[in-house]
Amino acid sequence: MTTSPADLTDAIAETGEELRRRVASQFRRSLHIRTLDTGSCAACEQEIRLLAAPHYDLHRLGFFFTPAPRHADLLLVTGPMLRAFAAAARKTYDAMPAPKIVVATGACALGGVYQPDAFCFGSADEVLPVDVWIPGCPPSPLALLHGLLVAVDRLAEKVPSLSFTVGGTA
Amino acid sequence: MPQWFVRGLRRGVVTTRYPARPEPSARDLPGPPAFRAGALSQRSADALVEICPSRALMRTGNVLVFDVGACTACGQCRDHAPEALMPTGEFELATTSRRALIKRIPLLADGEVST
Repeated sequence: MTTSPADLTDAIAETGEELRRRVASQFRRSLHIRTLDTGSCAACEQEIRLLAAPHYDLHRLGFFFTPAPRHADLLLVTGPMLRAFAAAARKTYDAMPAPKIVVATGACALGGVYQPDAFCFGSADEVLPVDVWIPGCPPSPLALLHGLLVAVDRLAEKVPSLSFTVGGTA
Repeated sequence: MPQWFVRGLRRGVVTTRYPARPEPSARDLPGPPAFRAGALSQRSADALVEICPSRALMRTGNVLVFDVGACTACGQCRDHAPEALMPTGEFELATTSRRALIKRIPLLADGEVST
């Protein structure tokens, strides 16, 4: 019996997806969020702060902010991951109990704004294993809510079906 | 204290119903642009690549590669080519795959007439 590398890759991808769903289903009732600013301009933080305000009220969905990584299930990473901050980011990630989710927030953390240089890695996934990406500069509180709900598998992601082209034959 | 209570009652519930119901204010949010098919030639695409401050655009041959994750929704490309680009009004862009954010926009070949 032989297994081709392509079959093996498919099987691993399938198992990974199954595992992700199971982890997400564990987090459906209540989820504690630790934010991590790795050198952002604080626009993302402003939007994250608004999530707790009455208009968005993320507590109604079972999300809570926690100041302690040891109490956190989800790490909300903003900023282009400064090299000076990488050790602290790794320590924060290691201090979180498993299973844990890492969400890269904003164009900096996604690798859009800063190129890798002597001061920053340029994106969060150079240092942390990112599970969910939320684009935006900054992502609006609604975008963040959608991202958090995607992270715990309560909403479906829309991006794969969007083409960003309008009309015509293409 | 009582006047705050009365004020609260008068204004009603302000909390959004999202995600159970769509949020009406979402259409005013800045978002990444959408490209009109058949409106961009290679040369005009190169001009957009030049303009983009966050390197979200890149041209390879006859395809404009648009990294939605890198886009900061600044609108400079839309100001430069309003006939070819329009706002999407899309904010639900979160994804579990970074690759899903990279979109390929087909371009007109050089010499082809735009429609």
